This record gives sequence, structure tokens and C-alpha cells, in this order.
Amino acid sequence: MARAPIGLKLRERRKALGVTQTALAAKVGVSPSYLNLIESEKRNIGGSLLMRLASELEIQLEELDGAADRRLIDDLGEIAASPTFQNLKVSPQSASELVGRHPEWARALTVLYRTYMDRDQTVIALADRLNQDPFLAAAVHRMLTNVSSIRSASEILESVPDIEPDQRERFHNILLTESDQLSSVAEGLAAFFDKGVAPTRSISPNEEIDDFLQEHQNYFPELESAAEVLASSLQLREQGITTALSELIEQRYGVTITYAAPGSKPQANQTSLKGVAHDKRMVLAEALPGPTRRFLLARTAAELALAETIDEIIEKSSVLTSAEARRRATRVLTSYCASAMLLPYDRFLEQSIKLRYDIERLRHSFDVSLEQVCHRLITLRKPAAEGIPFAFMRVDPSGYVSKRYALPGLPIPRYGGACPLWPVYRAFQTPGMVNCNLAAFPNNDRFLFVACAVEKGASAYGQHRPLLSIMLACEALYADQTVYGDTLSTGARDQALAVGPTCRLCTREDCGHRQEDLIVAT
Amino acid sequence: MATKVLIAEDEKNIVESLSFILKREGYEVSAIFDGGQVLESLTSSPPDIVILDVMLPQTNGFEILKQLRGTPQIAALPVIIITAKGQAQDRATATNLGADVFMSKPFSNKDIVAEVKRLTSV
Repeated sequence: MARAPIGLKLRERRKALGVTQTALAAKVGVSPSYLNLIESEKRNIGGSLLMRLASELEIQLEELDGAADRRLIDDLGEIAASPTFQNLKVSPQSASELVGRHPEWARALTVLYRTYMDRDQTVIALADRLNQDPFLAAAVHRMLTNVSSIRSASEILESVPDIEPDQRERFHNILLTESDQLSSVAEGLAAFFDKGVAPTRSISPNEEIDDFLQEHQNYFPELESAAEVLASSLQLREQGITTALSELIEQRYGVTITYAAPGSKPQANQTSLKGVAHDKRMVLAEALPGPTRRFLLARTAAELALAETIDEIIEKSSVLTSAEARRRATRVLTSYCASAMLLPYDRFLEQSIKLRYDIERLRHSFDVSLEQVCHRLITLRKPAAEGIPFAFMRVDPSGYVSKRYALPGLPIPRYGGACPLWPVYRAFQTPGMVNCNLAAFPNNDRFLFVACAVEKGASAYGQHRPLLSIMLACEALYADQTVYGDTLSTGARDQALAVGPTCRLCTREDCGHRQEDLIVAT
Repeated sequence: MATKVLIAEDEKNIVESLSFILKREGYEVSAIFDGGQVLESLTSSPPDIVILDVMLPQTNGFEILKQLRGTPQIAALPVIIITAKGQAQDRATATNLGADVFMSKPFSNKDIVAEVKRLTSV
């Protein structure tokens, strides 16, 4: 818990009363230098000395050690930790100083931050509303259907001169009812936009990455070729690919690989922002599982050997506008190359089809992690050699979405939770076990969900290994190409789990799992 | 004997117009409004061509198309997919599943009649 800035408050009060440090120190029986240390928050204070000082300065003890201040400091600490301020390197410790010296500014800052967060959430909600809004989607569908009926009926009336009177009347009625419905839909749309919804779109680096990957359908032929060439250049001997990758990194690029003991810092492969090529060193956690170690080595090899190819792709992109987005895209593409090296496209696709997308058998077949298998599956988009189109999602136990790749018709939330019924959340109850479901959305779209919670990071006694849940999703019509479809009947609608996108966008108003109100008109 | 057309579409007014115009061209037309009944109807009394909407209640048009192509008795039936979902992805899905024609709403009567004629002419 944050400590209240008693010293700073004492100083402010003393100055307000016009008392010198020396005079106050003499009155309470301490040296001026000791009082200075107290006022500078370099010494703790309590007991009789605090009471004497409070008495001399005519201030209540509660004012000096107030819970409100501690809350304020905690709030500021949370603000300092926000990704928004990460580049400013705001020290959480300085919050105490701000509360002590300028409490009104500290309060103003927290109010401002809360207001900003509220606005931010509103912008996200509005962007979601436009991109995924079931009302808009239904309205467009309704309009096209109405227009289709009107067009067809009017063509008949215009092109069939000998139409019977009762049929003529029937088609006139169709025109009347359909155009009436069309008017209602148009009015509904006008009302929707009259509510002040602007076509806003958050453009955070993560969203730019999403757009970038969608633009390329998460398939990069240049990187596939380059990774293949790099992998074939490895001096594979009986020691296997881990040794070959280490030798490539150390001998060809002069990078020293060191291993950190469990619990020491850095924990994994942390290098400076300038990258391993600059640092000439790479630190790996000693107790990493084999597949993770191989992946990190392959990623470093790609960073060293394929930087030019990766940079070219990023430079050509028009959607990566910020430096941060380009930096993150570099990391994403470097990981893509590592994946392509360890799971060569054609062989992986062939095995995926042969093993009917059984992610556990694929994992053992290639000796990689479950997450690496799932990641690679969403890249199988080579024209004329495509796998099943999958969406991907990774969440931590708090529901934070740390990775996502959406499909048309299956929006994966960028922020906050998806529908609590998605198996990606249930998977946390049975780590290591694959959960699958056929899920039906309110608009009748159906998807196969396959989820599993896995442990990440180094493994050693006493070391906490965070649990993450990963999920693949594909349209229900592909279910029978997977091993998971064997236990599911795609024809039987009553076997599908009734889910939604997120509560805010879900039209199942009677759902007992609803956490938030629907924000869209129905 | 008249060529049989089955229309699987849940919008009654669209079905009425399509039925009218196809009957005038000499086709024998029947209609189904519920996706769950389409396959049963196709296997029990196969038509010569199917006009299949995507957004059907119960089972959607893509799932029906896939099951149709996997049922030997009716696998070769010509299928025209009609939909208000005109995205490139939907078009690709229809093509991959073996649709003969993909038409976005709103379509013209003339176009759909021309496609029916083309696909049913021997």
C-alpha cells in the first residue's frame, strides 16, 4: 500500500505558517537536518514526535495520514502504470510527492484520467458498433431483401403486359408492403445516425497490426520463402535444430547466448529495444520448455538474417502509420518467420489435413507447443494450398485479450471480454484439456470453437507459470474436416451452444449470463 | 416434361416473384422456406436445379450446399446461390463449396432466368 506523504504535508503546513525549519526543529527537540530528512520523505515518522509536530503546526493527525490520500496515491500509481504513459516513464513513486505538494492537481489528474478512459471506452464501443453492429448488419440485409423484392415485382409489372388483374394486384401489393418496410428500415438507419454516431475508428498500434494482418490475410509468401532458405542453411546434425540455431546465431552473427537461472532477471530472451543485432547478446531462461526455447532461437535467427525482407514488407504497408505499430509489426513478422522455419508450410498443411487439424497430434508430430500449432494454422492461406480459415484468440485469466485474429462474421473483441460462454474461458477450468463446441450466434451464424488453457514460460520449482487460454474458431461448415467435428453434428441446430459476440453487441436479451447492457438498438 | 426448379428462400415475396417469372418460362416451381427441410426435399424428390438462399432459418445455404455436394444422389444438381451477403469471402466460400452461380441481392429477374436456362439446357 502507498505511504501517505506526511513529511511533505508537514513542510507545506510549516511554510504556510511562515515557520523556519530551524525554529520548528528546536520546538520539537530534533536537529534541523533530521527534520529536513522527515520533510523530504527520507525518514519515517510516527509516535510522539509526530504528535508534537502536529501540535506545533496546529494540524490534525488524521489530515497527515489520511486514507483519502493513500487512495489518491494508489490511483496515481495505476495511472502511471497505464500503457498510455509508458513512453513518459512516469515513476509511481513520485505520486506520493505530487499528492503531498499539490493534492488538488493530483485529484484533477485522476478525474481527467477517468474521464479520458470513459471517452476511450465510448470510442471503442462506437467503433465496434459500426464495424460489428448487429443492428446495422440486419438493416443492410433487410434493405437488400426489400429492394430485391421490389425490383423483381416491378420488373414483372413492367415486362409482362398480359398479366392477370388479380396477379397485377398481388404484385402491386408486394411493391406496397416491401417499400413500406424499406421506408421503416431507412428511418431506423436515419435515427441510428442521428444519435451522433460518427464513423470514428480507434487507431491504436494494435489495431493497425490487426488491419495489416487482415490486409495480407496473415500469409506472407516472401517470408515463407526466406524462412525456408534460412532453415535449409542450418547445419543440422544429430544434436538437432536447437543446436543448429544456436550455432547459427553465435557463429555467423557473433551473438553470445547466455542462460539465466530460474527467478533471475531477465527471465526470458529479453534484449534491449535496439535488438539482438545491436546488443550482440541474447539471454534465455535456463528452464524454458524445449519448444519455447527453439522458437525463441528461431525468432532471433530470423531477426538477424531476415531483417531486410521483413523491413521491406513493413515499408510497403500503408496501414502501419505509427513507429510503435511498425515496431510491433516487426516483432509479429519475426515470429512469423520463426514459425515458418519450425513448421514448413507444405509439410505442416499436409500433416494438418492428414491429422484432421488435431492440434495435440500436430504438436507432437512437430515437437512444438500447442500455441505454436494454433498460430501456424491461421497462416495457412497460400492461394491454391489453403487450410481451413481459422480465427484465433488468446486470453489471460483476467480476460485480457493478448492476441487475436478475426474472421469475417466472427468479431473477436479487442478490449474486454467476449461472450462468457465461449470455451476459451471455460478452458481455464481444465488446463491442458482441449474443449470444443459448436456455437450459434444470434444471427444464426455457427462456428466451431476449439480452446485449451496452457502454461507459459520457464518451469522450475517455486516459479509461477502463468496460464493462458488459446482458441481457434472456424465456420461450422468446416467442422467435418476436423477431428473435433466427429463428436458434433453440424446439421443438428439444437446441439449448438447459444452464444453471442460480447454482451454489448449481443441481442440475446434473455441470456442469464449477461454482464453488460446491450448498447445497440434492436 | 417440365424442368423442375426448387427455390429455397425464406422471403415469401421474393419466392412469389421468382415463381411467377419462372412458371411463365415453362418451369415447374416449388419452394421451401426453412433450411432444415431442404435436404430431405431434395433427396425425396430431386429437382433439376436449386435456387438457394444463404440466410435461411435452421440450416444456412452454405451448409446445405456442402451436404448436397456430399450426397451422391443429388451431388451433381446445378445450384444458384442468392444472398444479401455479397462479400468477397462469401463469394469464395460459395465457389469453394461448388456453387454454379453466385448472385448478390438485389438481382434482376432476367439474369436469374438466364442462369436457370443456361444451367438446365442439355
